[in-house]
Amino acid sequence: MGKMKVKAKAKDGVVKAKIQAKHIMLPYDAAKKKGVDANFITHLVGKVGDKVVYEISTSQFLSKDPLFKFEFKADGLKDGDKLEMTWVDLSGATETASKKIKGLK
Amino acid sequence: MDRRKFLGLGMAALALVPATSLHALDFRKEKPDAWTAHTVDDSIKALYGDAKATESKDVTLKAPKVASNGGAIPVTIKTSIDAKSVAMFQDSNPESAVAVWTVPEGGTVSYTTKIKMKKSGTITVIVEDKEGKLHSATQTLEVALGGCEG
Repeated sequence: MGKMKVKAKAKDGVVKAKIQAKHIMLPYDAAKKKGVDANFITHLVGKVGDKVVYEISTSQFLSKDPLFKFEFKADGLKDGDKLEMTWVDLSGATETASKKIKGLK
Repeated sequence: MDRRKFLGLGMAALALVPATSLHALDFRKEKPDAWTAHTVDDSIKALYGDAKATESKDVTLKAPKVASNGGAIPVTIKTSIDAKSVAMFQDSNPESAVAVWTVPEGGTVSYTTKIKMKKSGTITVIVEDKEGKLHSATQTLEVALGGCEG
């Protein structure tokens, strides 16, 4: 299934999205204790087509396997449009997942 | 090894910081100082300069009063202000900045995410509106079990 679950549903002109990322999100303190490098998601972007609908720059202080919920207007979106999420982490790795937005006409 | 690498990271990041205004999209690249600041005030200054934030009822910050698991505290931020960016800080972890959202054109600010807090403390949220004014909200909460694995 990959490292990210994307769920998005449109209702009353607003799309509600729920993203579950799978990531160790290891802060510097804990990494030092374990003797490995810290690694955590640093940036997450959500797009529909080429329109950015969500963007967050994050720190080591998000929970392990972090959850992100957000909303955006469904203006201009149509049935078949997909929400594409991409994250980048401290080690430079990236992961992308996309899912069709439910409920669009 | 750790410290050398970290310093190296810092130098590389500093080299990349252009003197642009705050519509930069990737705050980690554009404002590296914000992420290493140890106090909430320093982080805010690194992100937004000297603008002063005013407490605003239009910014809703929801977090449990007592978090049973410091490793996964759900925090929800909502505002009706026409926002350009939203930033979250807390004062109980070694560095203060937690996350910064860039609000896209026509976006709605209704964000939830889960964060870690080492111990009980205060979460501060700053909403930057389209004119560059800062609006803030805070919430203090207790953490029953520390969230940074020690």
